[in-house]
Amino acid sequence: MTGDNTDRTTIARLAGEVVPALIDRLTRSELGELEVREEGWRVRLRRPMASNGEAPAAGASPASGHKQAPAPSHASHSPNDGHAPRRDLDRGLITSPAVGYYAPRDGVGVGSAISNGDLIGHVDVLGVRQEVVAKIDGTIDALEVEAGQAVEYGQPIARVAPERMVADV
Amino acid sequence: MFSKILIANRGEIALRILRACRRMDIAAVVAYSEADRDSRAVQLADEAICIGPAESRRSYLSAPALLSAALVTGCDAIHPGYGFLSEDDTFAEMTRAHGLTFIGPPPEVLERFGSKAGTRTLLGRHGLPTIPGSGMLRDDAHGVAEAEQIGYPVLIKPSAGGGGKGMRMVRSQRELQQAMTVCRSEALAAFGDDSLYLEKWLEENRHVEVQVVVDRYGNGVHVGERDCSVQRRHQKIIEEGPSPALDQGRREALADAAIQAVVAAGYENLGTLEFLLDRDGNYYFIEINCRIQVEHPVTEMLSGIDLVAEQIRIAAGEPLGYTQQDVTSRGHAIEFRINAEDSANDFRPQAGLIERYLPPGGPGVRMDSHLYSGYDVPPYYDSLLGKLIVWGPDRPTAIARSRQALDELVVDGLVTNLPLHRALLAHPTFLDGEFTTNLLDRVGSGAFLAAARAA
Repeated sequence: MTGDNTDRTTIARLAGEVVPALIDRLTRSELGELEVREEGWRVRLRRPMASNGEAPAAGASPASGHKQAPAPSHASHSPNDGHAPRRDLDRGLITSPAVGYYAPRDGVGVGSAISNGDLIGHVDVLGVRQEVVAKIDGTIDALEVEAGQAVEYGQPIARVAPERMVADV
Repeated sequence: MFSKILIANRGEIALRILRACRRMDIAAVVAYSEADRDSRAVQLADEAICIGPAESRRSYLSAPALLSAALVTGCDAIHPGYGFLSEDDTFAEMTRAHGLTFIGPPPEVLERFGSKAGTRTLLGRHGLPTIPGSGMLRDDAHGVAEAEQIGYPVLIKPSAGGGGKGMRMVRSQRELQQAMTVCRSEALAAFGDDSLYLEKWLEENRHVEVQVVVDRYGNGVHVGERDCSVQRRHQKIIEEGPSPALDQGRREALADAAIQAVVAAGYENLGTLEFLLDRDGNYYFIEINCRIQVEHPVTEMLSGIDLVAEQIRIAAGEPLGYTQQDVTSRGHAIEFRINAEDSANDFRPQAGLIERYLPPGGPGVRMDSHLYSGYDVPPYYDSLLGKLIVWGPDRPTAIARSRQALDELVVDGLVTNLPLHRALLAHPTFLDGEFTTNLLDRVGSGAFLAAARAA
């Protein structure tokens, strides 16, 4: 393959046809994320997540009138309430990296502004502290566990409301 | 007695331990990885705790995750099941250091019997004939030197575990050098330990093992033997008891020698002594498994003893409470390991949705399985879907009932080794009780399947 011309053609096609078509598809669907791969390129579109884990209604009113998919029922996965739901797509949810006792960082609470990678607390595993960090920029809008509480791996610790993702096209 | 036990395992054995806890009125907490969230044991448990991601090293093989899980849920003991950390003396030691009891031999006993080479020497001193082998291999060059000493063919074995992982029989130095690398990585993945040793390979041998139960006070009994000669690449497929290769006199002599040696050597809790039996009926001790074994139900069906309950009782410090005269064995039992693997396609492991699961029934039929219709078998762990155990007053009856049970068993959605089991039950070598450990590999399972189709 001779590079530049082919690349330019691909980029033009992506910007002109593929991306607008995908945005349209994503808007009209109930999906939270859409990814298309072809040889040499990959496009991934992700909807900004509301804090409850559901995809918010898209900016433009869906022409088809589809309803939002219901959020997964948290209790259905396990015999007791302590278990974490599936949350693969919800990056605003901060979960426990280990089994142990939770200790929040001083000064972090509901309303705190945080950035991707910020430490919000620790899980104490046999005296060894495992860091609990945010995965997106935003504001903490819910804390799910208290200081000293036992947590399991993957258990929700806090929820972060994201800064709006920009989707200029 | 314990008040609450953490079950640090998965699949059918997690379920088996949960049942023992229920029967003994002990609360149980099932520790599970993210991939096992929908498992039967988690569903049945009163309490369950997620310990880590699917990857075993960060969940079922993670001592800190398991200990932390036991502590935060208020357990006073941990049952490790089989595989994973079940024979890890460091884990047993850590368990004790955190004020918990490891259900199995105490750490000193695990350590004493942890080295397979050391155990051979130790039990050899207490009267058991042993198979020639090496100590732990320092490196490949050491392996080559030891193999020259022992004489080819030799069997490469991982020091840390069982189940055929990391095991290879090699006939030359070239094969040995190639295989050691593979065995190391397999052993590391399965047991978190890549140390290997070598053992003399006997052609045409049978695998016979003796179940022992020994309490803290030096009271011990054997609960008979199991014959596990039907193997594929050192993975047991069918186990049965009593062994068709032993008459009553030799059976008792072997089991008596085994129990006397381990009691004298200071063993404690449940254990299995594995022997190779050569064509002339000589037996050689190869190793001891310091845990509950996959095939323990064979012994339970014959003796009526709940081995998991015994394991828990002894770990709690209770005396055995019975003697060898009280242990009886009735009839014949056979276990079939139902694996998610394609016998017709190099035993490729299968994962995915179980569309329909219908277990068999009838007199003498027991099915230990974690399957249910709609269960999604995760791809991260071993391929065992369950165990069918069939008892009959004699071997022919047990075989006839087994055929019926295998025909009743329905596992839709995945390819399983059920056709291989049916083929083995139709084969004269199995029916005559003449199976040897390398027969399936030498002849090829394809030949057994084809013979069954032609019949």
